[in-house]
Amino acid sequence: MHSRRWLVTISLVTIAACAKGGDKPAAPASKTFRIGMVAKSSTNPVFVSARTGAEAAAAELSKSMGIDIRIDWLTPPEEDGTVQAQRIAQAVNDGDNAILVSASDAGKVTGAINDAVDRGVPVMMFDSDAPLSKRFSFYGGDDMAMGREVMSELAAQMHGKGKVAILAGNQNAPNLQKRVEGVKEEAKKYPGITILNTFNHIETPQEAAAEVLRAQNANRDIDGWAMIGGWPLFTGALLTDLDPAKVKIVAVDALPAELPYVERGLAPVLLAQPTYLWGDVSVRTIIDHVYLKKPVPAHVDMKLVRVTKDNLGQWSRQLKAWGFTDVDPKYLALPN
Amino acid sequence: MHRSLLRSPSAGLVIVLLALATILTLVAGTHVDPVSGSTVNNFLNAHTLIQMATDASTFAIMGVGATLVIISGGIDLSVGAVYALAGVVMAMVLRAIGPVGPLMTVVAGLATCLAVAFICGLANGVMVVGLRVHSFIITLGTMWILRGVAFVISHAESILVPASLTRIAKASLGLGTSLSPVPLLAMLAVTALGSIYLTRTTMGRHVFAVGGNAEASRFSGLRVNRIHRSVFLWSGLTAGVAAFIGASFYGSATSSDGTGYELYVIASAVVGGASLSGGKGSALSAMLGALLIVLIRQAIRTLHLDQNYEWIIIGTAMIFAVVLDQSSSRLLAKRLSTTP
Repeated sequence: MHSRRWLVTISLVTIAACAKGGDKPAAPASKTFRIGMVAKSSTNPVFVSARTGAEAAAAELSKSMGIDIRIDWLTPPEEDGTVQAQRIAQAVNDGDNAILVSASDAGKVTGAINDAVDRGVPVMMFDSDAPLSKRFSFYGGDDMAMGREVMSELAAQMHGKGKVAILAGNQNAPNLQKRVEGVKEEAKKYPGITILNTFNHIETPQEAAAEVLRAQNANRDIDGWAMIGGWPLFTGALLTDLDPAKVKIVAVDALPAELPYVERGLAPVLLAQPTYLWGDVSVRTIIDHVYLKKPVPAHVDMKLVRVTKDNLGQWSRQLKAWGFTDVDPKYLALPN
Repeated sequence: MHRSLLRSPSAGLVIVLLALATILTLVAGTHVDPVSGSTVNNFLNAHTLIQMATDASTFAIMGVGATLVIISGGIDLSVGAVYALAGVVMAMVLRAIGPVGPLMTVVAGLATCLAVAFICGLANGVMVVGLRVHSFIITLGTMWILRGVAFVISHAESILVPASLTRIAKASLGLGTSLSPVPLLAMLAVTALGSIYLTRTTMGRHVFAVGGNAEASRFSGLRVNRIHRSVFLWSGLTAGVAAFIGASFYGSATSSDGTGYELYVIASAVVGGASLSGGKGSALSAMLGALLIVLIRQAIRTLHLDQNYEWIIIGTAMIFAVVLDQSSSRLLAKRLSTTP
């Protein structure tokens, strides 16, 4: 009976194996170059955008250089540093030529990165660094500066006075912790601004929106939200529940779903991370360093793009050019 | 002898594991090792096999404890939170102690993890028995409480453990560079101890008796409440051992560690043949169940399927396993009832 029970399990995997028969990964030809990509979470749109950028860069470079560059998407469904470490090891065991990582927990992935490098597989970081590891380069911004910029923009929108809440995402992510620190540091420059509290949450749009609404209902006097990530703006919930005349939001990220917040004035400024470039620039840097043996900087600096009503059309067209298919046509038609 | 081996509940799992491993070896393809320059199979190589055992070790070690609880008719949803709290407290204690010798670090780390896990397991057992509330509810509550405690005391920091501890957890023991069999050995040791406890001790037999029929056990003079308390204690302790191995191996501990592990642990036990209605299960099968889940995950990777399908495939395999197990049990009961 037990054998029969397991026969079904065997069948399931055998079917999967057969279904993939045509794709059977043969010994990589000398001109195949595989990059394992381990972002933080495959349900976060910013990392989906990074994947799009990585795959587009891989396709373009494959064509121009005559090598077959493939992206192995190894991102866990939910943020988990341990799973990331396991997937880095898997990528090495499976013969990937390089690995691209955004660390959910730098402490957890540092050992796995060092093991990968010791076994001859170079590792590059993007978005969230593991600075104590043997990675050869990091593409990302200065998180403290990013936090300061969010607060500085928000203070300008609030005319230097009022109560501010910080929306902070996963409390364990080192890059987000630094952004929160940056917000708090910058707030000290404004005597009229009070930081009410920092709100952490699971990094899904719904959880983030629910956290904002809970906080706003419990603290009716919140005048501004410093969002160090744009999670709740991927839902429409705040558009109906917050009054742009009373509350202002400044958030990091400006993907298509977030643009109505700029249009309605609830988020007059979004500080866009060029998330598509996380993948694009990182893949090009990896190819330069690993395949072409060119020198690359240890830190490739990423600049934020300030998105307001004044450049909404221009930014929308940029997103469309980067492969986003869900940009509202009315924004694409805007002159600026 | 051969017949009894083949009839053992674990035999089917071993056959499945070997069959899957064979299929994966055949379809995996090869790559050139960048350091040695030799061609290696993408699946059948020492690094992948040890990595799989390492990945499975956490679930398997906790699965042994969870199996005891499940055999007794209960369930423990707090193991992931115990794992997080034990790891965080260990990291904080080691940080507070400061640099000491490797042996002292191991002793202090392991003792801390076991002490925290002991308290958590005891609390679960005492509440389940004393409050007469189903273990599902009690451990659901303690799952949140313990994770909350880990969060508050760690201030959500990722706390590094001493490098000497990680070196020991990742020791190659002569196998070669980047091969770390310590989690594998810990998994085998805990499974062996669990098997001995369940099959060779009176206490272990009592766990089966209580899970099979608690009332009959009570009338037979068994101290049912004590047995219920003890299984939660063991479950907590195995989570403590797993936390020690996990935090040492990966080099840090945070309050979000082990999130969702309770489901993998229960899945390992159930896929290994443990019955959620109690009275059935084995430590070896729980370990094999954990290995099977990890092997299915590895298959997704080796076959270059989209990683996003992992949950769907594991969920489907688990439902099939349990449904077929229940069908076979019903069939057996029917046969027995018709036997004159």
